[in-house]
Amino acid sequence: MRRFIVTVVIENKQGLSDPEGETILRDLVLKEGRDEASGGGAGSNGSNESGNNGCRISEIKTAKMLRMTVDSRDAESAVRDVRKVCDALHLYNPIVSMVDITAEPSP
Amino acid sequence: MRLVKVGIVVFPGSNCDRDMHHVLRDVFGFDVQYVWHTKTVPAGTDAVVLPGGFSYGDRLRAGAIAAHSPVMSDVRRLASEGTPVLGVCNGFQILTECGILPGALLVNESLGFMCQWTDLVVENASTPFTSMLYVGQRVPIPIANGEGRYYADEDTVRDLQRGGRVVFRYADGSVNGSVGGIAGICSDDGNVVGMMPHPERAAEYETNPVDCGPARMIFESLAGYAPVQRQRQRQISHAGRVGGGEGEARP
Amino acid sequence: MSLEQSELDYLTSRLGRIPRPAELHIVAAEWSEHCSYKSSKRHLRILPTDGPLVISEKGYDSGVLDVGGGYVVTAHIESHNHPSAVEPYGGAATGVGGVIRDILSAGTRPIAILDGLRFGNPRTDPKALWLFKNAVSGIADYGNCIGIPTVGGELEFDDSYAGYAMVDVAAIGFGKRDRLVRNHAEPGDVVVLLGGPTGRDGIGGSQFASDSLETEDRSAVQIPDPFIEKLLIEAVLEARSAGAIHAMKDLGGGGLSCAVSETADALGVGITINADAVHAREGGMSVEEIMTSESQERMLVITDGVRGLQTIREICSKFGVSHSVIGVVKRDGMMRVTSGGRRAGGGEEEEEEDVAAEMPAEVVANARLLDLPRQRPAYLDGIEGVSCAPHAQGGGGAADYTDILRRLMTSPNIASRSWVYSQYDHEVGIRTVVRPGADASVLRLDNGRYLAVSMDGNPKHCYVNPRQGAIGCFEEACRNVVCTGAAPIGMLDHLQFGDPTDPGVFWTFVESVRGISDFAREMGIPCVGGKVSLYNETPSGPIKPTPVIAVLGLVSDGGSRDGGGRADDSAMQRMLARPADGDHIIVVGSTKDEMGGSEYYEYIRGVVGGRCPAVSAAESRRNSGAILDITRRAGLSHMVHDCSKGGLAAAVSEMCLGAGLGCDVDVARVPRAHDAGAAADGTAGAPAREMPDDVTLFSESHSRYVVLVPDESLQEVEDLLARSGAVHARIGRVTRGGPGGRIILRSGGDRTVADLSVDKTRGEWSGVLGGMVHGA
Repeated sequence: MRRFIVTVVIENKQGLSDPEGETILRDLVLKEGRDEASGGGAGSNGSNESGNNGCRISEIKTAKMLRMTVDSRDAESAVRDVRKVCDALHLYNPIVSMVDITAEPSP
Repeated sequence: MRLVKVGIVVFPGSNCDRDMHHVLRDVFGFDVQYVWHTKTVPAGTDAVVLPGGFSYGDRLRAGAIAAHSPVMSDVRRLASEGTPVLGVCNGFQILTECGILPGALLVNESLGFMCQWTDLVVENASTPFTSMLYVGQRVPIPIANGEGRYYADEDTVRDLQRGGRVVFRYADGSVNGSVGGIAGICSDDGNVVGMMPHPERAAEYETNPVDCGPARMIFESLAGYAPVQRQRQRQISHAGRVGGGEGEARP
Repeated sequence: MSLEQSELDYLTSRLGRIPRPAELHIVAAEWSEHCSYKSSKRHLRILPTDGPLVISEKGYDSGVLDVGGGYVVTAHIESHNHPSAVEPYGGAATGVGGVIRDILSAGTRPIAILDGLRFGNPRTDPKALWLFKNAVSGIADYGNCIGIPTVGGELEFDDSYAGYAMVDVAAIGFGKRDRLVRNHAEPGDVVVLLGGPTGRDGIGGSQFASDSLETEDRSAVQIPDPFIEKLLIEAVLEARSAGAIHAMKDLGGGGLSCAVSETADALGVGITINADAVHAREGGMSVEEIMTSESQERMLVITDGVRGLQTIREICSKFGVSHSVIGVVKRDGMMRVTSGGRRAGGGEEEEEEDVAAEMPAEVVANARLLDLPRQRPAYLDGIEGVSCAPHAQGGGGAADYTDILRRLMTSPNIASRSWVYSQYDHEVGIRTVVRPGADASVLRLDNGRYLAVSMDGNPKHCYVNPRQGAIGCFEEACRNVVCTGAAPIGMLDHLQFGDPTDPGVFWTFVESVRGISDFAREMGIPCVGGKVSLYNETPSGPIKPTPVIAVLGLVSDGGSRDGGGRADDSAMQRMLARPADGDHIIVVGSTKDEMGGSEYYEYIRGVVGGRCPAVSAAESRRNSGAILDITRRAGLSHMVHDCSKGGLAAAVSEMCLGAGLGCDVDVARVPRAHDAGAAADGTAGAPAREMPDDVTLFSESHSRYVVLVPDESLQEVEDLLARSGAVHARIGRVTRGGPGGRIILRSGGDRTVADLSVDKTRGEWSGVLGGMVHGA
């Protein structure tokens, strides 16, 4: 048995909207980047090229992350076991969400 | 109509702005104006109120996006000039997010939204919003928030307490897990007050099932304070003009 | 997503040609049960919709009532059962969003939400608590964010909802009469789509709602965005005030297909839509997808193409609401959908502007109505004859109901709902004068009047007797409103049943509608809105018949000083009064042996069946009239509460637990009658010995109220009741609370039948729901 850090990321499935991520992108990241670049916002054209230090962000997705410490034979079975738990306990709703599960040996 | 001008800042998602407008204008007779978040606060405004709500849907963190609104640079300047500023609920969250007040509001210990009546205890009765209350007075008032748990590190809390900057505490200190049961604080100069409970919901006979008397004093305090403050401001700006003049460059 | 063969034949004959693929999708969405009411409409026509306060206008999605002083109240009810059963958080939240937009579409500001929630029995249904907890979170997160108070509702658990969820949402709006949107359109007006982008989420939702859960279509899940809804509300109201809205319609079930065809049909115009102009969340959507997407938070607005459009653009830009001009109004009565050649399945090169659909709007908007067969279901045979022996007598002769009463008060269907409503902001808007937890919630209006609202259902009664059960729900909602001193002015009905093609299910539907209609006429209360939700099926069969009735009442102006119809101080004083130690407890109305569908039979004794409580209109009118007389005068009563679930024993206990006070009541003094007929005549009740104590304590007979009266007004109240002819009796006193405070029920002098500690029971009663969810 070895100890693993299993990371479970729960996010909306593809094609479903993510209002929180969209708001952070539209009303903060794009707007602020633009405002900084144009010095006030009014009349700017929405280009993001010079704002945010040139970092061109086009999409933001929010997710919920669970980090679990799991004792298991290997990383593969740690992921498999955690997936079973996620499914059995409805840790995410498969109708709307998907999970990405990864395991790394505990340091 | 009292000749006290109050600006209510409205952000996308503010939802207690109309309630605050009703209480300030219809109940207490202030001269009230809405200030949309992309506009500037009109000249001659005696006090600014940041109302409750869910600015930007509380996304990222409550108040985090509104803290970047253009109007906030005006609010910051007015706050530093001594203009009374009141942040209620989401307004308090915005004031902490943009650093005008210290600390942060975290998700309640119950992890859920809480809408219930509680009692506040007044600790500082010398701010523009509490001068007609007395220290130790109880104020029946509702809370309605999901992220209302006041948090600051030990040093900050100690400074707040030493400086008399804790304005209100919950009589039931454990209501939402706020550090020290803190419900409202003020700035160093006392002119900026942030509080999680909703005084505008507690200031009328019809809407307050307990006793609306104490919460009314929050607004009566402002009504009594603002004209004095305006007089003081006028003297300062007058003195400034005599002493310096517009073009003077400061070192 | 398809049409029945007979519907396809009908469509083909109406069009005079083979329908195109996109047309089939549009018509299938609009002719779904959810949008077209094709099974139910024929029977809904009997509901009375006219009244002195009702304002009718073509194309309104909500009922409009004139409440005086130039103001109107709007009301509507919807459900989101199928989506909530699959994804309770999003389903319940988008249910709130949908009904809010119905209120908005009349041009009124939404001021309150009520929600009725029903789930399986948490003891046997492993999904019930998960559905319950997440549906409550969904409603809280949505309603709180948009700043509309959730002021009331109901919660019930029943075996017949196993694995399923019933989420009903009613919304109330308020506005100036002269600002109502007067739906009209001129040829040349433009059609603007406001709000969130159209995506693939929610495609086929109305079809989904019209099938049972087994054919679960996962694309029908919608992600709620209350922030966009809030911006949409403010933008639309600003555009309304600027006079920029000619006509408006919410996009709900059936998406654009439904909104466009119904608007064109209602206004008697044609509308041509360019599907490519619709602002979409993702590229490459087909015309069919765009026309049937049920993406949330969207409104369709018709305005003139010059000034109105300019105003709307400016307002949308201010609030950051995305919008697109998607069509134009024509004179020809046709619903036309064009696209630039992205038609799904289009093989050959398309023309510049391809017509994907071109049908008379009147054809699309009016499905051929069905006349489904119905037959009294066999399960009803003998069900009202069921009875169970009185609770076993104790050794000394007096049966002890202490434990039974404690179990009833802490049952999930009766225990305090504070765990639910403390998560809802029920005060934003500062109109809430009487808060959730009371019989009805009361909102103050800008004209100085008060509006009371209540929502009630009772599937246990409705299962035993669909007609009397439905009338009972209606009367209960009226009673709750009357308790606050308000007279009913309008009602909303929400009729929820299983698969209507089952003749037994459909029979129960028709019985319910007839009952509601008869009682509405009898009481002169117009039906101002309603909704039908069918195909509510669980793996173990149809749900119990679940009509839910919401009643609106206006606090009357009796004895007011200014004579202008404003509610005077006495109304306020009454609403703010609290029970006090020493108050007399008076019960109004007679108790009958009507145990069918009672919480006592089902929850405590495990028996389904028995005689369903029946309403006598005469008794109902007399008793409610007497209560309104009492509540009109300041200081006469400290509290009025109705008797419903758990009967008289629960009603008295609830008053005590809510106030933290005790009581001492003699149930032998409770007026009793053999049946509703005897009570209607005002004839004397049966002798006490003929009715077992458990019937007196727990029967759920209608038209009963418990009134708490202070010493000084006892004489006046009793005189008033005597004059009214309402059967009534003084049954005991309120006693002190605190340590040592007890709820004591006796049966004749010294025989104690129940004795509970106030503090201990209050703690349990208020902690049940939270404890269930948190596993305590």
